[in-house]
Amino acid sequence: MTTTAPPSRRPRRSGVSPSLRRYGAALKSPRGLVGIIVILVLALLSVSAPLLFPDGYDVQSSESLLAPSFTHLFGTDELGRDIFVRSLYGLRTDFSIIVVAVPVSMILGTILGLIGALSRVAGTIVQRVLDIILGFPGLVLGICIVLVVGPGWVSLVIAITISGLPAFGRLARAALMSQMQREYVTAAETLGVSRLTVLGRHILPNAIDPILVQGAVFVVQAIFIEAALSIVGLGIQPPQPSLGALLNVGTRFINQAPTYILGPTVLLLLLALAFSLLADALNETVNRK
Amino acid sequence: MTRFLLRKLPSVALVIVVSSIIAFLLPRLAPGDPAAALAGADATPEQVAAIREQSGLDDPLIAQYINWITGIFRGDFGNSYIFQRPVAELVLDRLESTLELAALATVIMIVVGLTLGILSGSPRAKVSRGVLDVLNTLLLATPPFLTGLLLILVFGVTWRLLPVSGEVGLLENPEIGIQYLLLPAFALALPQAAVVARLVQTSMQNVRGEDFVDLAFAKGASPRRITYRHVLRNSLGTAVVAIGLRIGELLGGAIVIEAIFARNGLGQLAVQAVQDRDYFIIQILILGAVILAVLIQIITEIALAALDPRIRLEA
Repeated sequence: MTTTAPPSRRPRRSGVSPSLRRYGAALKSPRGLVGIIVILVLALLSVSAPLLFPDGYDVQSSESLLAPSFTHLFGTDELGRDIFVRSLYGLRTDFSIIVVAVPVSMILGTILGLIGALSRVAGTIVQRVLDIILGFPGLVLGICIVLVVGPGWVSLVIAITISGLPAFGRLARAALMSQMQREYVTAAETLGVSRLTVLGRHILPNAIDPILVQGAVFVVQAIFIEAALSIVGLGIQPPQPSLGALLNVGTRFINQAPTYILGPTVLLLLLALAFSLLADALNETVNRK
Repeated sequence: MTRFLLRKLPSVALVIVVSSIIAFLLPRLAPGDPAAALAGADATPEQVAAIREQSGLDDPLIAQYINWITGIFRGDFGNSYIFQRPVAELVLDRLESTLELAALATVIMIVVGLTLGILSGSPRAKVSRGVLDVLNTLLLATPPFLTGLLLILVFGVTWRLLPVSGEVGLLENPEIGIQYLLLPAFALALPQAAVVARLVQTSMQNVRGEDFVDLAFAKGASPRRITYRHVLRNSLGTAVVAIGLRIGELLGGAIVIEAIFARNGLGQLAVQAVQDRDYFIIQILILGAVILAVLIQIITEIALAALDPRIRLEA
C-alpha cells in the first residue's frame, strides 16, 4: 500500500563533527564515565532545586543546628534552615559561576595567547602581564579584585576569569609558536591567505585540544577559588548560599554543630573530584590520537 | 654579597615604590566612601563631609599619598577608620598569631616536604615509594582550605584530640597554644609540602642519571653515601627555590586557614579591612606582603649561591 520510498536514512551521527565524537570517546573510559555521571547528577539536582524545594533556601524554623537525620539530610543551620536544601541552592550558585567564568576565561585567554600572531610587541606585552597575574599567590588576586569590585557573584566571576587567563594564554601561544614555523602556514601565507584565516583555520584547531583539557582542569580550580573566597567572607554574601558561603558559616559553629560542614564539604569534594576525573579522561583521549 | 645586595637595591626600591602606589590606589578605585561608612547609616551629608574633611579624605590624592609615605618613615601608619585606632597597633596585635602559624607551617612544610621528597627520590623501597606517590598526588590536588576542613572533620567530629577552632597565644600559654596551632599549621603546610616533595623527587631522579653518580658508584661508594652526598646535595638547589616560592603561597593560604580555624591573625584583619574599605590597613598589608616577597626572593638567591659554588650572586 505504501508506495512512497522510505526517506533515505542519513548515516547515523553524521551531524556530529569528528572532533566532537573524539571527545565523546573520553566518556567511554571508566573514569570519564563516573566523572560525567556525577557531574550530571549534581547539575540535575542543582537545576531542579527550585522544583524540589519551591519554598527556596531561606525557610527558617526553630530547630536550629540539628545533626543530620532523615528529615534533614545534612542537618539544620543556625536559623533552622535545612542545610541540604541550602547546599543544593549553593551548588546552583557554584554552577552559575562556573558556567560563566570558565568559558569566558578560556576564550579570552586563547585570544590573548594568539595576539602574538598579529603583533609581536603586543604578544610580548600580553605574556608579561599574564606572568604577573601568575605571580600572585592563589587567594590574593581574588582579594584584590574584591577590593575594587566589592564582594559578590560578579567579583567571583571576574576573579576566576582572570586567574585562568595565564594558563589558557600560554597553551594558545605554544600552539601558535609551534604551528607558525610549519611549512603549510608559510605556504598559506604565500598564497595570500590572511593572518586571521590562518589563525582560525590552522592554528586554532591545533590549540583546541590542550585548551579543552585545561578547561576541565580549570573548573576544579574555579570551584576552589569560589570556596576559598566565600569561606573567607569575600565571596557570595548571606543569605544567598554557595558551597563556600555555607562553609564560612559552618566553621563558625564548629563547636556547637560539628556536622554542619560535613554536607557542603562532601558536595564540594564530589564536584571537584568529578571534574578532575573528567579532565583526566579527556587528557588521555586527546593524547592517544 | 654586599655587592650583590647593592646591585639589587635599585630594582628592589623600584618594586617597592610601584607597589606602594598600587597599594594606595587599589582601595580608592572602588566605589564607596569610608567616611559614609564611618558616619553610620543615618548621617546627614554634612556630617559625612565633616568626617571626610577631618580624616583628610578631601585632600588631593597626591597629598594623601605623600602624607602616608612620610608617615611610614616616622612609624605612623595612619589611623583605622573603623577601629579608630592607629593601624600600627592593630597590625602588631595580630602579628603574633600569624607569625606563629606561618613559622610552624614553614617548618612543617620543609620537614615533611624534604622527607617525602628524599624518600620517594631514593631508588630502593618500591612499596613505600608507591604509597608516597599516592599521598603526594592526593595532597597536590587539595588546596589548604580543603585539608583544613578534612582535618576539622577528622579531629572535630570523630576523633576529638585537638581543638579545631579558636586560638591561644603561644607566649601566653605554650602548652595550650601549640594544641590550637597544630591543626591549622598542618592544614596550611601539607599541600605546599607535597609540591616541595614532588620537585625534590624529580630533581633527585634527574641528578641520579648524571655521570658523576655513575662514577661514585664505580668507585664503590655506598648507596646511602650516593643518595645523600652526591644526589641530594645536588638536588638541594631545586628544593631551596621550591621552598622560597611556596612560602608566598603559604602566606596567601594563611588567610583562608585563619578564617576556617577562627584565628585572629593578619589575614582576618585584611579580610575585615577589605569588607569595610579601611584604606590604611589594606595599604600597609599589601605593602608589607610585597616587601616580604622581595626579601624571601633575595634570601632564596643567597641560599642558592651558598649551596652551589657554581652559582655566583649577580644582579
